Amino acid sequence: MIKVALAGNPNVGKSVIFNALTGAKQKVGNWPGVTVEKKEGICEHRGKKMLIVDLPGIYSLSAVSIDEKIARDFILNEKPDVVVSIVDASNIERNLYLTLQLIEMEANVVVALNKMDLAKSKGYRIDARKLSAELGIPVVPMVAIRGEGIEELKNTIIHASHMQRKPVIRYSDGIERYIELLKSKVVENSILPEYPSRFVAIKLLEFDEEILSRAGIGEEVIKEWISSVS
Amino acid sequence: MRLHNLKPGTIAIVSDIVGNSALRKKLLGMGLTKGAKLRVVRNAPLKDPMEIEVRGYHLSLRKAEAENVIVEVKEE
Repeated sequence: MIKVALAGNPNVGKSVIFNALTGAKQKVGNWPGVTVEKKEGICEHRGKKMLIVDLPGIYSLSAVSIDEKIARDFILNEKPDVVVSIVDASNIERNLYLTLQLIEMEANVVVALNKMDLAKSKGYRIDARKLSAELGIPVVPMVAIRGEGIEELKNTIIHASHMQRKPVIRYSDGIERYIELLKSKVVENSILPEYPSRFVAIKLLEFDEEILSRAGIGEEVIKEWISSVS
Repeated sequence: MRLHNLKPGTIAIVSDIVGNSALRKKLLGMGLTKGAKLRVVRNAPLKDPMEIEVRGYHLSLRKAEAENVIVEVKEE
């Protein structure tokens, strides 16, 4: 079975897409240990079975709120085959931030570019094909509320499930030097080896509290390591 | 200048975000990055909360959060 996670900001039409994918085959429960609702469902398409997991609506994956932590842990630990990043096309700039964070976690991301009708009425002309080329991942334009794009999304998920795309988001040369250095430290000291090393390096550079505490290292160690980069 | 001091209608550019790491990340994640253009839409009584427009959407901020956004005023 193909394991699929749905991620997106609040109010992007995530529930509409979840319902369209799973129909009546849904199971509602809680995420372990917390009173946050967890919805799962099965989607059958062209002889393939997909387990669809609805992640909480979040703006980022910095793990400062419980919802963000749930989403981040699920993607890092459960390693879904495909993560669908649902983007509100009428609010694309803010929404793509989460998509970039998902790519950075080396999730196998497919963008569902929803609310294309609303974007159009706002005067936006979005070239989905160009966006796909720029991001290096598939982009499916949709108007989920009218069912437009659902079939294509199913096809794209199945196709993506056996084709891992892991584009790298490059920062400026100055920042890349620090990332490279920390990445080599991460590999050398096998820091959180279950996670992608570049992702861990970037989080260490951000002094991400959760990654620091999981790795059992303090900010001062990172500061000392990066002090050697001139 | 700090964001919570601005009047409705003011257009400003974010020049820095200060404060603790969790709050900074939250504000950066909501699109308040250095160089982002914002407009103050309106203020609640005592300016808490305030509503701004940034990157094409509306965002409400508590005064305690807005205090951490350093801005450069472009138009009043």
